[in-house]
Amino acid sequence: MSLPKRILKETERLLADSPPGITAAPKDDNLRHFDVTVAGPDSSPYQGGVFKLELFLPEEYPMNPPKVRFLTKVYHPNIDKLGRICLDILKDKWSPALQIRTVLLSIQALLGAPNPDDPLANDVAQHWKDDEKDAIAEAKRWTQQYAQ
Amino acid sequence: MAKVPRSFRLLSELEHGEKGIGDGSCSYGLKDGDDLAMYEWNGTILGPPHSSYENRIFSLSIYCGDKYPDLPPLVKFESKVNLPCVDQQNGLVDLSRIPSLANWKRDFTLETILVELRRDMASPVNRKNPQPLEGAEYPPADLQTLAKNRKV
Repeated sequence: MSLPKRILKETERLLADSPPGITAAPKDDNLRHFDVTVAGPDSSPYQGGVFKLELFLPEEYPMNPPKVRFLTKVYHPNIDKLGRICLDILKDKWSPALQIRTVLLSIQALLGAPNPDDPLANDVAQHWKDDEKDAIAEAKRWTQQYAQ
Repeated sequence: MAKVPRSFRLLSELEHGEKGIGDGSCSYGLKDGDDLAMYEWNGTILGPPHSSYENRIFSLSIYCGDKYPDLPPLVKFESKVNLPCVDQQNGLVDLSRIPSLANWKRDFTLETILVELRRDMASPVNRKNPQPLEGAEYPPADLQTLAKNRKV
């Protein structure tokens, strides 16, 4: 199965020069399916955690966005129990000018900037609004329990 | 063509199932909304009209193993049903006995299976099959173990 040049180029660059705190490597049996790790940003409740994700480039990529989900459990208002991510550039704000690299950086940034006003995990978002301190403590506990 | 991995395939099936399929005669969803691996699913089939299955809701359990959708899932009726493709001892469905599913294809979905089972109920040979008492169920089974030991 031959890959479009754009995907080959992106993959090469990711392998040779990945952004700080991020790794992404295609699986042997499917070069559109990537194993990803993202380090929790400093001064966030996810600091010190390493989060596993998977990313898939659909046939229509880059006209359509990549599909991404967390494989590590994470307590975050914009990430649900199945690891699905609520992020505009993965949906209506996608542009073919964006890349795997920018997507992963945006996900890392989302970890550092939870947005309980646009929730995917409603119970977590409510917790964040009711008692942000306690929600952050819970996110830290999950980071220690699941993301090491 | 890009080969959609199991996980993203199941996520899109889940979204589709949550929206409700067509006329609502079949439905399915994750058994446990926390199950990151998405192994265990519930399904329901509303018995087709003008048949002995009419006005009944049949519950099913579906186990999507690591090889799904390259391999079919394991499908089990929880509600007792008199249908030739269903093992009367345990409710397990023999997909090879349903002509449209006998040759499994990667683009078949959980919806395909439920819709085809319902079609099988409505087929001329099966639609008059006398049905067990409503509410009767097959004994529970460990689908994960069964799926692992399955010969394909």
